[in-house]
Amino acid sequence: MTEQRVLPLTTDHDTAPFWAAAAEERLVVQHCDDCDLPIHLPRGVCPRCHGERTSWREVRGAGRLHSWTVVEHQVHPGHPTPYTSVLVELEDLPSVRFLGSLPGRLDLEIDQPMTVRFERVGDTTLPQWEPVSS
Amino acid sequence: MRDAWRPDTMAIAGIGSTDFSKASGRSTLTLAAQAALAALADAGLDPKDVDGIVRCDMDTVAPVALGDALGVENLTYWGDVGPGGSAPAAMVAQAAAAVAAGLASTVVVFRSINGRSGERYGAGYAQGARAGGSSTYEEMFLPYGMQTPGQYFAMVARRHMADHGTTSETLGRIATACRKHANANPAAQMHHRTMTLDDYHASRALATPLRLFDFCLETDGACAVVVTSAERARDLRQPPALIRSAAQSGGADAQPGQMFPALMRDSITTWSSRALGEVLFRRGGMTPQDVDVAQIYDCFTITALIQLEDLGFCGAGEAKDFIQDGTLEVGGALPMNTSGGHLSEGYIHGMNHVVEAVRQIRGTSTNQVPGAEVSLVTSAPTTGGSALLLVGA
Ligand SMILES: [Zn+2]
Repeated sequence: MTEQRVLPLTTDHDTAPFWAAAAEERLVVQHCDDCDLPIHLPRGVCPRCHGERTSWREVRGAGRLHSWTVVEHQVHPGHPTPYTSVLVELEDLPSVRFLGSLPGRLDLEIDQPMTVRFERVGDTTLPQWEPVSS
Repeated sequence: MRDAWRPDTMAIAGIGSTDFSKASGRSTLTLAAQAALAALADAGLDPKDVDGIVRCDMDTVAPVALGDALGVENLTYWGDVGPGGSAPAAMVAQAAAAVAAGLASTVVVFRSINGRSGERYGAGYAQGARAGGSSTYEEMFLPYGMQTPGQYFAMVARRHMADHGTTSETLGRIATACRKHANANPAAQMHHRTMTLDDYHASRALATPLRLFDFCLETDGACAVVVTSAERARDLRQPPALIRSAAQSGGADAQPGQMFPALMRDSITTWSSRALGEVLFRRGGMTPQDVDVAQIYDCFTITALIQLEDLGFCGAGEAKDFIQDGTLEVGGALPMNTSGGHLSEGYIHGMNHVVEAVRQIRGTSTNQVPGAEVSLVTSAPTTGGSALLLVGA
């Protein structure tokens, strides 16, 4: 039996809306209704103004590569190596970053354009990031 | 705000360690008892007089359980400091605070771990089919193959290289300096294994740009120290290591969760160690230039490199110029990790660094810095770290 890859818990108080939107192939970021701060990672109380009214705004799935690593040493049987984990910042909200994962060893450059892609695994949808093809 | 910290009023009076191995063949309770008894014997104290014990939040040995193992008459103070590797210097600080407040007089601070034969931190955090929840935010990281400390620090290293032109050679100089020190330390796990810069470059990639020799060891063992007042320590068996300064700092933009969320920091290549250094040196009335020898937390080479910049031994991005051949060795600008560090002595989660920092004050290190008067030790910096400045009496 092949071991399953790790999937996110999608029912957490703070992050569930992110995964619910992903299931609809929408990329969303929590914002404070009072001071407009993008709250990432999401949480119930705004760390800037302490407001508790927040909403999830759809954002453009365009980003830039902030960093990456090619993982060669396997630790989880559901994540065969080599794979490349990417850290992507949003073009429109550079303070907001997401992880992505791609099979194989990618040849990448810091700041190169990245685009979101929605990957369905069973009943879970993961926003993924891949290089913009030139 | 005026700092009410009182330098040199508290001291480390005893140090103890077990052997460091891949398979201790005994429990973490036994290891903890052996290290604590060694530290108490070193100080010339009767174990039954211990009235305080401080541990880190990842230790499997409860303070009261260790008290029982030591045969203490009545434990009146205990505490947990966390998280994990960021704790040891803060554990000493908490013990000192307890003594200063009159809550205890003789406090054992320890870390006990079967890090190779038992729970291996390098095995990753993913357990079960679903990751995250409960304010860990692991659901945003683990599904994307970001599952181990090494993978996190690899991301940080890549960005540091891109921003500042840091190269593997600089990381390799950290690894080889630690190894050279371990080669002179019979207690080090890597005592008999030499490493050249070529050996470093030839080691296999685990998570690029980091390779095997950028990663610390996995170790079974325990370390302990005894904290008491400076006044009392002066009457004990060993010359005291006075606590000139102690600090913990989370800094701004610490991020929730642990470790992986630090990838959301405004800059991923500086940590709480920047704010930590400011507090530490201010309380001690010192600057980095006053430090004679440093034990810098080195779960990975890059972890130590960034702390050197954050603490002010060089500017941000300048480690590549600062760290030349010999810089970090005895006789160099900043002798670092003189027991071999986590990279080459053993990984007791920051605690063996505290023991070695005391040895340097006593003049008993196997890589002794001649005339060392100011000894720095740091504990893991990522999402909040701690540090001590120790001096002689
Ligand atoms: Zn707000």
